[in-house]
Amino acid sequence: MRLHWAARLFMALAAIGVAMPIVVVMASALNGGRTMTFPPQDPTLDRFVEFFVSQPVWRAALWNSVVVALSSAALAVLLAWPIAYWVWRENDRASKTLAAMAALPFALPPIVFGVGLGFMWQVTGGLGTYWALILSHTALFLALPLVTISIGLQSVDRAHLDAAATMGATPAVTLRTIILPQVMPYTASGFFFAMVLSFNEFIVTFFVTSSSFSTVTLQIFNSLRNGFTPTMAVAAVTFIFVSAIGFSIVARFSDLPRLMGADQTK
Amino acid sequence: MSAPDADLARTFEGRPGRVGLSLQGVLRGLMMALVCLICVVPFGLILAVSLGHKVEGAAWVWGFEFSNYTRFFVGALWPEQWSDLYLQKLEYSLYYAVIAAVLAVLTAFPFTWFLTRLPRAAQARWLIFLLSTLSLSEVFVVMGWDILLSNKSGLPMVLRELGITDWAKGNGIFDWARANGLANPRDFKFKTSVFATVLTMAYLVWPYAVILLYPPLSRLDHSMVEAARTMGARPMQVMRTVILPTVRLPLIGATLLLFVLLLGVYVAVSVFADPAQQTIAISIYDEVRGATLNAPFGAAQSVILLLTAGAFLLLGQLILNRRAP
Repeated sequence: MRLHWAARLFMALAAIGVAMPIVVVMASALNGGRTMTFPPQDPTLDRFVEFFVSQPVWRAALWNSVVVALSSAALAVLLAWPIAYWVWRENDRASKTLAAMAALPFALPPIVFGVGLGFMWQVTGGLGTYWALILSHTALFLALPLVTISIGLQSVDRAHLDAAATMGATPAVTLRTIILPQVMPYTASGFFFAMVLSFNEFIVTFFVTSSSFSTVTLQIFNSLRNGFTPTMAVAAVTFIFVSAIGFSIVARFSDLPRLMGADQTK
Repeated sequence: MSAPDADLARTFEGRPGRVGLSLQGVLRGLMMALVCLICVVPFGLILAVSLGHKVEGAAWVWGFEFSNYTRFFVGALWPEQWSDLYLQKLEYSLYYAVIAAVLAVLTAFPFTWFLTRLPRAAQARWLIFLLSTLSLSEVFVVMGWDILLSNKSGLPMVLRELGITDWAKGNGIFDWARANGLANPRDFKFKTSVFATVLTMAYLVWPYAVILLYPPLSRLDHSMVEAARTMGARPMQVMRTVILPTVRLPLIGATLLLFVLLLGVYVAVSVFADPAQQTIAISIYDEVRGATLNAPFGAAQSVILLLTAGAFLLLGQLILNRRAP
């Protein structure tokens, strides 16, 4: 069905509105001077070299961001799987409570969760460690793989399960041969959602790291006090690319419209 | 899982007696404990710390007193003197969040409606684009709008170069803008202003708005729309009599959820809001890690923000669930 021209115009305008700040940040990354101006003055790629090669502060921050994002996303998936499976199998009060607890941090203002985590790691002595941040992000983004895996489990074909049961497969065999392969794409989606959001997270990271090490978002926030610089814009460009690639992989692995809750008949 | 593992599992499954049950029980108990520790305990700790008090320097001790809460509602010098400084901050939190949430939903609604009319592959491309911007850190979004609204290379410059600034000076619009803090004597300026704050906040949640409205709009029964069209209803009539009534609840639910999400915004408010018009999130940050350093009082403010958020979230859940069977 073709859209009315006014509808297409509205969508185009919305896309421009959404893209505008991103385009501006990306273009600013090309600035030759030390100040952020748009359009960029004497465009150069020097800032990219600074960010990825010559300035160890940024390189270290990028490394920290990547390690934290990958490990917290992996942990979140590993923890979300049994929870989602339990809810799907039995749907009893205990499993529902567990799922609700797991979704809590994502639903409430992150600044409050950050403050609470700060207190918790302070009391347990983990404040400022790598592990504290990884576990914190795991908790914060646990809800994402939990949701995608649950959607995946609900979409497992009942006929396959009945057939397996008729032929005498135990739940463990059914899990391995039928459920796992069918839910894998949704698991991957959950992983990428958690990874990308962890990569971009700021406020919880701020309270948990306690200035003992920094990630890219923290580093940017710290440099913010001296005004924005083009090197920070390079960081932004990197982030946008990582996000776009992550979600393209999600779309490739699974049916993105369905994952986002579109109707299934189309 | 290797073959011996499967055999092991079969042994357990085959004997629904003590061994299988207890192994499963232990695993589930461990999972409960872990999730409780990392997801729920932090919130409990905030409550516990909020009952303590600050001691010399930046340290604090446990306690059981409500002075932090009375300070929030009536000020530290009460009953001699009454101060509503923190209530005002809470008010600003609600004020920015409500305008930005409504703005985001109002603009995202028609967009999402058109999006669901597109072919599926096109929908997937739009969703990738939106998800990429959605995941974008608050820090970058603020950075982008900071440049877009800056005097040197942003909107004020564009308005000046196009002659709109001079035109506005001639007909009183400029004076109106100055009176509302949107201009300095020579130019329009948007930093710091409520306009810039709310605009950036609406931008932050706009992709969320689309994603929240996408399922209900996508599942809407199109035969109803077509039937109405066949019977001669005009597009606006269809919108008013068929579409809006069916998605009224999701619309309200989405607005509430975005509102809750926006209550905790930190970077956008700290950069774009006037120092006298800042929110409770800024205040929490200052108490816990910033300039004022009074962790128990920061914790008390967190509890109040949490209760506010929780109340609205519950309201949203009630509205959304009322429709489900």
